[in-house]
Amino acid sequence: MTALAELDRMILLSRDHVAPTLSDEEICQQFQSLKVLCVSDPHSLSSHSGQTVVFTLVALLSRMGMQVGLNLPDTAVLLPQPPFLGSSLCEALLASGRKLVTEATVRSDSDFKADVIFVVGDFPGKPDAPCWYLTGSDWLGSVAMRGIAKPEPWSARLPVGAMVSAALAACEAFKFVMRSLPPRNPPDAVFFQPSFSSSWNFDRINVPLGELIDLGFVDFVSAGAISQAALFALSRFPGIEMSGRVFDDDITEASNLNRNMLTLASDLGQPKVLIASRRHGAGVHLQPIVERFPGRISDTRLAQRVVVGVDDIPSRWRVQEKASNWIAVGGTSHYNISSSVHTPGSPCSGCLHPVDDSGDGGRIPTVSFVSFWAGLAMTVRLLREALGEPYPPERQHLWLTPLRMDLSHAGMWIPVAPRRDCPAHCLASRSMF
Amino acid sequence: MTVMVEKKFAVDVVYNGVTKPIEVQPEEQVTALLHKAISSFGITQNAHLLSLYRQDGSLVPEAESVERAGLTPNEVLLLRPNAVKGGGGLLQLARSIVHKTFHILRECGRGECECIVYWIGPAHESLIDGLEHPVHLRSALGYQVDDGWLTTFWKALGASKRSIKAQIHTHPAEAFHSATDDEWPIVSQAGFISIVIPDFALGQPSLENAWVGRLHTNGEWQKLASMREALILA
Repeated sequence: MTALAELDRMILLSRDHVAPTLSDEEICQQFQSLKVLCVSDPHSLSSHSGQTVVFTLVALLSRMGMQVGLNLPDTAVLLPQPPFLGSSLCEALLASGRKLVTEATVRSDSDFKADVIFVVGDFPGKPDAPCWYLTGSDWLGSVAMRGIAKPEPWSARLPVGAMVSAALAACEAFKFVMRSLPPRNPPDAVFFQPSFSSSWNFDRINVPLGELIDLGFVDFVSAGAISQAALFALSRFPGIEMSGRVFDDDITEASNLNRNMLTLASDLGQPKVLIASRRHGAGVHLQPIVERFPGRISDTRLAQRVVVGVDDIPSRWRVQEKASNWIAVGGTSHYNISSSVHTPGSPCSGCLHPVDDSGDGGRIPTVSFVSFWAGLAMTVRLLREALGEPYPPERQHLWLTPLRMDLSHAGMWIPVAPRRDCPAHCLASRSMF
Repeated sequence: MTVMVEKKFAVDVVYNGVTKPIEVQPEEQVTALLHKAISSFGITQNAHLLSLYRQDGSLVPEAESVERAGLTPNEVLLLRPNAVKGGGGLLQLARSIVHKTFHILRECGRGECECIVYWIGPAHESLIDGLEHPVHLRSALGYQVDDGWLTTFWKALGASKRSIKAQIHTHPAEAFHSATDDEWPIVSQAGFISIVIPDFALGQPSLENAWVGRLHTNGEWQKLASMREALILA
């Protein structure tokens, strides 16, 4: 197994914008040679939310093949952080080296010479490389370059803003590498300029303090990157109770390691449903169904809440036809994520994704933080649905391009328009005739 | 003195999160705006998959002018992937067209010969509103459309701004796409739909047992799981 195989989909994505004369090996090497230092302080790491920033960031960076250095005080891990294992923060993070992507190391050497530094909380020293501070609250995450913002201790209670902040930072590391590669078209440089300050807010909702949050019975259609990102995020939300099923007949391959957030390099050859059903928090109970949707079991009856992370568009239509209540659909296309929710009477996923884009039948360009955004957005929708505060219809669809989150249209909330030619023949589309 | 009225205005097109103003004329086609946007962002890969969307989630109709599409100055449009174009969308048709198709295929084929029908509609819409039964030679093993009829038909389609949306033909028994069917569709454009009806169309007038395929951009025919992936029966 080589780094080239593991990072294949990210290399493919970068090819949208790098000079075609570059070889895959050269692109891969550039990502693998980036050294990223993660820094934090005892106060920020004393909360589960603060720990979640660091675990998520290290996971997203490692899955891009980068070399991670740690400058962190060690502390006990407060809540499970799958797929990381270990009772102390540094032990768990260091042990993940070479386990997420085989040549992505995690080290705590004092002589680690960083190209990029990310700070959660305070950094008493003077950074000798481009440095971003990660800040946030329960539902909002931000990154800002040193000089633009001042360090703030991480004090949020809930971990969604933490994961937003980590995803924003991971993108800055990705763009750092892209800027070092010769471009295909010089004007494309605009997509990879650093964000001096950027943030994203999923908007606050009331979460009962210290109470269990019952998500009910939930079916996950696909155990791939987006579903794993959703489960990664769900597992970090305290007090979650959820049972359900996960459907997929796919086997873990090397090229999945760059984005499947619950998967380890040692999982190659394992059914994805086994990974998705085993590696999460204590309150999540998923039954693995090794079956592609629609199939013998999955075609019978779906749960009241269905999370769809499958690439195949006709499968989304079948889910829409079979599901009776609430469906969240997440997808990615190059640097873009699409996240939507469909309820009875509202324009369905067929209206939003009306045509089967069969593509080239195989290699889909992807990168860790883009898939992660898609899963995180679905998790937020599921939480809001369970807590009785779903987004309003004008936010039925989120189209988000997490490259330049400092720009006003990086994320757009939009309604879904019904289509007369809806392939799922939903109620909203039939009412147009 | 003649006063020139400036009608030109700009819309804001968003691609990959970056916004660029693109100037348009009211009488300009939306396709021209789309091409300008694609060019402005320097998009060279899979540009044919991109469409413009309004902030209400609706697709900006490419067959319209900017004015008829209702675009307004400084309106924000999202440039994002739509789907495989060139006929890749779902075709709408009335059930009566399916019944009429079966009637023609049975009458002409008489249970012993293959037969062919073309479904047609407005060139820039995914609507089937008519059918054509071409002049053709027929046998139990195949059919051959008359060249002269075809030339006249193409001219008529061009003049009326209509196009062939799908070809439907019969087989003696099993429905499948033969090598000849693969090689000689009436239209060789990606997204074109071909339907093969089994048993000389003597069964129920339904497409449930038909072979339905779409011509892919790589020139190969993709068998669809069901006719619902290509058609909407209203």
